[in-house]
Amino acid sequence: MELAVDLAALTERVAPVALARERTMPVGDELAGLFAEGGLVRGRTVACQGPAATSTALALVAAAVDAGAWMAVVDLPTIGLDAASELGVPLERIVAVGTGGDPARWVEVVAAAADGFDVLLVSVPAQLHASAVRKLAVRLRQRDVVTIVLGDPGSMTCDGVLDTDVPQWSGLGDGHGHLRERRVAVVASGRRLPGHRRCQLAISA
Amino acid sequence: MTVWFPDWPVTAGGFGADVPAAAMSADRVIARTAAAGVEGVVVGQRRRQAQRRCPHIALFDHDPDRDAREFEPVVRAVAEISPRLDVVEPGWISLRALGPSRYFGGDDVLAQRLVEMVVADAATVSSRPGVGIADGRFASSVAARLAVRRGQPVVVGAGESPGFCADLPIGWLQTLGESDPELIELFARLGLRRLGDLAALSAVDVLGRFGHPGVHAHRLAAGADTRPASTTDPAPQRRLDHVLDDPVAQASAVVFVAKQLADQVAESLAADGRVCTRLVVLLESEHGERSERSWYRSAGLTAAAMVERVRWQLDAWINLPRGSDQELTGGIALVRLTPDEVRADDGSQLGLWGGQTEADRRAARAVARLTTLTSQEAVTVPVWRGGRLPADRYEWVPAAMVDLDQRSRAVSRAGTGSGPTGPWPGSLPSPSPATVFADPLPVEVLDEHGVALQVTGRGMVSARPAILRLLAGDHESGWRRGRVRRIIAWAGPWPVEERWWEPERHRRLARFQVVTDDHDGYLVVAEHQRWWISARYD
Repeated sequence: MELAVDLAALTERVAPVALARERTMPVGDELAGLFAEGGLVRGRTVACQGPAATSTALALVAAAVDAGAWMAVVDLPTIGLDAASELGVPLERIVAVGTGGDPARWVEVVAAAADGFDVLLVSVPAQLHASAVRKLAVRLRQRDVVTIVLGDPGSMTCDGVLDTDVPQWSGLGDGHGHLRERRVAVVASGRRLPGHRRCQLAISA
Repeated sequence: MTVWFPDWPVTAGGFGADVPAAAMSADRVIARTAAAGVEGVVVGQRRRQAQRRCPHIALFDHDPDRDAREFEPVVRAVAEISPRLDVVEPGWISLRALGPSRYFGGDDVLAQRLVEMVVADAATVSSRPGVGIADGRFASSVAARLAVRRGQPVVVGAGESPGFCADLPIGWLQTLGESDPELIELFARLGLRRLGDLAALSAVDVLGRFGHPGVHAHRLAAGADTRPASTTDPAPQRRLDHVLDDPVAQASAVVFVAKQLADQVAESLAADGRVCTRLVVLLESEHGERSERSWYRSAGLTAAAMVERVRWQLDAWINLPRGSDQELTGGIALVRLTPDEVRADDGSQLGLWGGQTEADRRAARAVARLTTLTSQEAVTVPVWRGGRLPADRYEWVPAAMVDLDQRSRAVSRAGTGSGPTGPWPGSLPSPSPATVFADPLPVEVLDEHGVALQVTGRGMVSARPAILRLLAGDHESGWRRGRVRRIIAWAGPWPVEERWWEPERHRRLARFQVVTDDHDGYLVVAEHQRWWISARYD
């Protein structure tokens, strides 16, 4: 009898628990320091903001896409593919979807994309129904998708925000040279990114 | 016997043989008219090479759906002679000649008759088909191609196929998609230049040295095609159909149903280690009209290939001219896929490394779903095009028109920012802008005194640029002056002169890199004394 109780307690202790650390996607060395888990935790939503938001977002997903993940880019037709490629994102696994600015369709598209893609890079339309957004957030969490929101997240709730500081340019002079390198300080904040960790991102050739 | 139209994609595009034209896919010529051939345009050439050979050539994008649609009248004409025919691809039909030949009184008469019927019934088709009759699919396909060159049907008598094949170059195996290029190259290096050389080897030796693909090539070379057009009914459990309770009128929804069926068919066959080489697709409308076609592919049909064929068939059916027989008048109520011919999956097993991963398959499914949710144009993937301006370098192409198979697809060299073939001369050095505007934003660039800057024809600026003023608004309502930014660093102009040989598409512009006082970097372009922001470094 006692043995059975012990065993029950033991099973509880050895039952597999999926730690956040084990459900991560890799992140390049420069940005890994922002995350306590050392990588992007699946199912979370992170917003990238500030003057170097796009480059930061691309640098953030590069390692994961390079490791075989597929990325859907929703409503961001201006994404610079050269820059993405330079930051290490293989373009073979990028699919872009346009929703034509219809909020209801946007929710549908993002939900469908969550079924097949591991990483979503999205821009959020202004008028979204709060109830639809809540349902979508649950879906994104369940599907273990990492969602990167570029620009204003609107009514989407984000687990973390990466804010970029004013970039420092080098290489460009007064009528000579060319843009050679940019250094940006990236600061993490938000619910799931405690401690205001910061790091330096250098974007160069 | 085989009916084959040379360069079907250009015929389907509506170009006659006397007009130089070529169909392009992924920047390569995949089919051209006879007139273009005379000028030296060959299949496989790049766009530029083709234009260099023949400057007035009409180039247009290849559209498999259009090919299938335009081919429908031909299929109907041939079906008059023999209803059991296989469409290998648009422009290529194979059918069993035995019955019709007996009926018409001989192979030669049948071949002549067929050409006449196709030309008469499918009057919209401007090119003449080649008709070849021989034992087996491979030999008759070769005969049909030779028939086009000779301008008359080629008939190889019963039992003469081995002799007919023996003199042919070994490259035919590759041309007809029966063997992969590596194997053919290897044969050629070993001195097997004609099919007869290969056929002369013992089958056992070929099996030992080259495995199953080798044996397959050996059999075809010996004129012994082991795949006669079978007429037996398949085992019923392989047949899959889906009855739509609500008949659907949208093609995309039908294709989506077909996709699910195709996945099931391919999965159940793969579980037995088999692959389908001939698929019969039956579509039935709510009013009882039917469209039944049999599709053949020697390499085996994957689930994606099956769906593609359903789409072709459906598209052709929808676009039938009014008043034709079995015209579609209602929604689709039944979709049935029957794997009619099945063989062991021998050569095309996926490799241990570099095969399709689960993530690839999931993404391909999601792409199909997203396409049905939005539209074909809304779901796109990047394809390298090349150019000096960021907006020119990649093109977003509908995902449904691209083979997403990771093994064959190369868009860029990861980590370098250059295209699959290396860097593009004349483009700006990296880092590249992370935001690229397909429609550039208009701006004003002013000097210290607020005077608009000029760029001379020799690439000199009239003054030092000092102020960048954004313009808000659009073309209809006019442009209003917006925010003002001071320029703290700049470089340029880097001139670009593109397509000076083409008056309409000639572009001449100057590029500048600019950093403003709020530390934003821009790529600014001056063209015709107007200024645009072409990309932002953000």
